[in-house]
Amino acid sequence: MNEYSIIGKPTTNVDGVAKVTGEAVYTFDMTLPNMLHGKLLRSPHPHARIVSIDTSEAEKLPGVKAVITGKDTPGGKYGLWRRFRELADQEILATTKVRFIGDPVAAVAATSEDIAEKALDLINVEYEPLPAVFEPLEAIKDDAPLVHDDFENNINATRHIEWGNVDKAFKNADYVREDRFNLLSQHPAPMEVHSSIASYEKGSGRLTVWSSTQSPYFLQLGLADALKMREGNIRVIKPHVGGAFGGKNSTMPDSVNAAILSMKTGRPVKIVFNREEEFSATEKRTAMHLAIKIGLKKDGTLLAKEVKIITDGGAYTGLGATTLYLAGTWITFPYKTPNYRYDGFRTYTNKMWSSSVRGFGAVSAVYAAETQIDRAARDLGIDPIEIRRRNAMTTGYEAPGQYKVESCGILPCIDKMEQRVKEKWANLDKDEGIGFAAFAYMSGGIFNWIDTPYAFSGAMVKVNIDGTVDLFTQASDIGQGHNTVSVMICAEELGIGIEDIRLHPADTATTLTDLGAWGSRETLMNGNAVKAAAAEVKKKLIEVARMKLGENIVYDLDAKDKRIYIALRPERGFSYYDIVKDAIKGNDGEPLIGIGHYTPHRKGMVSPAYAMGIMGVRAKVDRETGQVEVKEVIVVHDCGQTINPLGARGQVEGSIQMGLGFGLCEDLPTENGLILNPSFVDYKLIRIREMPQIELFDVPTYDPEGPYGAKESAEATTAPTAPALANAIYNAVGVEFDSNVLRLEKVLKALKEKEAKEKGKGRR
Amino acid sequence: MKKELKFVVNGESYDLWVEPNTLLVQVLRDELGLKGTKWSCDSGSCCACAVILDGRVVKSCSIFALQANGKEVLTIEGLANGPELHPIQQAFIDNWAFQCGFCTSGQIMAAKALLDENPKPTREEIQLAMDGHLCRCTGYNMISEAIQDAAKRLQA
Amino acid sequence: MSNYRCPCCRKISSDPHDLARHFLGQTDSKHKDWLKTKGLSYAQLITSQTEFGNKGYDTLAEVLKKEAPKVE
Repeated sequence: MNEYSIIGKPTTNVDGVAKVTGEAVYTFDMTLPNMLHGKLLRSPHPHARIVSIDTSEAEKLPGVKAVITGKDTPGGKYGLWRRFRELADQEILATTKVRFIGDPVAAVAATSEDIAEKALDLINVEYEPLPAVFEPLEAIKDDAPLVHDDFENNINATRHIEWGNVDKAFKNADYVREDRFNLLSQHPAPMEVHSSIASYEKGSGRLTVWSSTQSPYFLQLGLADALKMREGNIRVIKPHVGGAFGGKNSTMPDSVNAAILSMKTGRPVKIVFNREEEFSATEKRTAMHLAIKIGLKKDGTLLAKEVKIITDGGAYTGLGATTLYLAGTWITFPYKTPNYRYDGFRTYTNKMWSSSVRGFGAVSAVYAAETQIDRAARDLGIDPIEIRRRNAMTTGYEAPGQYKVESCGILPCIDKMEQRVKEKWANLDKDEGIGFAAFAYMSGGIFNWIDTPYAFSGAMVKVNIDGTVDLFTQASDIGQGHNTVSVMICAEELGIGIEDIRLHPADTATTLTDLGAWGSRETLMNGNAVKAAAAEVKKKLIEVARMKLGENIVYDLDAKDKRIYIALRPERGFSYYDIVKDAIKGNDGEPLIGIGHYTPHRKGMVSPAYAMGIMGVRAKVDRETGQVEVKEVIVVHDCGQTINPLGARGQVEGSIQMGLGFGLCEDLPTENGLILNPSFVDYKLIRIREMPQIELFDVPTYDPEGPYGAKESAEATTAPTAPALANAIYNAVGVEFDSNVLRLEKVLKALKEKEAKEKGKGRR
Repeated sequence: MKKELKFVVNGESYDLWVEPNTLLVQVLRDELGLKGTKWSCDSGSCCACAVILDGRVVKSCSIFALQANGKEVLTIEGLANGPELHPIQQAFIDNWAFQCGFCTSGQIMAAKALLDENPKPTREEIQLAMDGHLCRCTGYNMISEAIQDAAKRLQA
Repeated sequence: MSNYRCPCCRKISSDPHDLARHFLGQTDSKHKDWLKTKGLSYAQLITSQTEFGNKGYDTLAEVLKKEAPKVE
């Protein structure tokens, strides 16, 4: 095991003081001189043709400085899928028709939010309502209304993954079962709503945008595409972000309309969504119908798996096509699957579109797979931990044509879980049960549907004469603690302290491209870039030190504890600060900088590295009310090398809150395209008294691809929570579910049906 | 028609004229520039806007500014003693009790009000007092631990 | 062993199923229109894949085996 100075040690947040004193500035907080406030007029219809828009009354309202509709925009369509232009299907403002309740048709900039809102009421839009479709199984029918004219049967995207021969394997299986699930949506529900400020510089024609975004680069590209501007003329800056969880990757109407309003008025414009807009008109988790068939030997060995998924895409693509691919991928993890076939279909419907949310397909897919494997285990009389152990991936496992797993700690994770459960959960109360779910997830994706020519992450390190360091990285801290991770990695590599480094994050003008915080990519991809940049500087410092020492070149030098010294003879060396001075002064004052970058190569179709693990949930069911109490959770995970244990724990626990929400109470019921509960009053999140005690165990492996061997952590753990809970409920009271959001009335109904069935049997 | 609002915020006296329907959170953030207090929900259901009014924690989004007339308000900005953090703030940092930080001001103010009234709360008492505070990042357990830690520090 | 070339682009495969998979992954009108000329519907082939089994690909693979130009 490596002995690091900083990596692996609990480190407090580099943004800590700012966040606990109220000094941290979020886009939500920002004001600029002469700034206007913008609001969006949204369609009340799920599907309608726009007949006419009359903005004349709104324009007359004192305080209103601009009113725009589709004709005031450059036109055309944009989206994240730049490599597949037909999937770039968003307009800045709807021109010919609206496709969901909430689709923006006009925008206003005014001197106050109140005036902007009043102006919205004065805009007259004449709609011709069109037949709408809300359910994917209806949307794919031949006679369904088309959401987008070019997409037959409303099929937005398809995915087919296949290896081996499933049909033959099913024939040879001792046990085959099919299960169908209906996985519901979930909203990211970040505490900071979508917020953007755009400021257009008339003289230069350049645009600066501050936004609550997961990816300044994606936003820069999206804006360039939508506004038909050169990327380099758009600067995106990400202030502190009050959470995102997948819902802030796309270029949303706040940023792009703020930009156009700024261009029109010559003043900065700020658009902030209210909470109702946040729930009803921002990206959410992809709901899906999922059918899964497995074939096993009688000892529980998996021979074949076949999966069919139809997702409810909503009105536009967002990142939904990636979710489609990944759902069909995560459903195979973390098991060796010799034969596999997957068909995924994403359908357009007349609802707010679904995209990526923490877990990116894994949460829905793993719910199905991990409850099913428990059902199979019960039928075959195999222990649920044993069946998972029997099928677990091992180092070097390859799914032909898809992915290869290098570091793989699932087996030791399973062993640790089994041991801990024996120690801690040996005695259960009445109506208590334990359930498990195994999981795995990517450390960033190898995909480039954004079509970037740049390395996936870049970083620059500048060392000043006094030894302080400026670290420039575009990576996004959206609360997950990546700012702290970047600084830790830079400090470890250079052998200096956290306090020596000043981070300059997330500004497209001053930092090298990073694709943003999604798919758990920052630690591995940006971490590698930061490490490489620091290493380049370290190399220069070491050369200077070596010259000064005059030693034989075979001696290796290290940088640690603010010294640069001979590794085998640590007493022979120099202070880091002295070497920095020599490096600059002795080199004609040349700036002491290092640049690093990272792109995964030859890493299959999915990810350069996979985190793995298993979760156990202990829950109690109240038979009278159907209430489920989650008492304790045990997580054993392999994330390669934990960079910051404090941050990792925080992240895992937060992911469990979201996973429990998926399992118990977060739901977006919709009627004719209208979301019925767009507020925290009615959209239930797990609160402090409902969180269980959580124990987290780390099984360190070392992934050669990650910085210091690190992989992702805590997007993976969102996925196993709900299925482990569902399995615990079965083990407690014997009821199964084909969907999530196990509210008490659902559980009670299932209990009553079971009771009735048993009574019926008893009578015979 | 605007009415006079005379109140003390973080130890400083203010004399403003505000519309009757202006919320306390709006005056704090937009008039006084104290952006540390956030709002998040439009429905009084998340407590991100929590501040202390005459010693009691209140949701500043659910109170008209004029209701604070003649009263004292303490916001997150008033907690630290110059450069020296309040023990609750330090405890939040040391226990990683925040991630994105957006709900944090409200959490800290509520923790202060709780510890002022009940210096040795049990875990259950902490959870009850903090039940109204929504957090999407932390899963709450580390917040409870930070408050328990803060209680110890304040007694030391 | 015969190699088959996609009737609408330069993709070559020795396996008609693999070619069918390539074909149904394309979303341009050239590929979709070719299906119509053979009495097939893109939408029907795709939606038949929503059931367990490989019906859509099997059907298209049979057609491609006959209709796709063979190359060395």
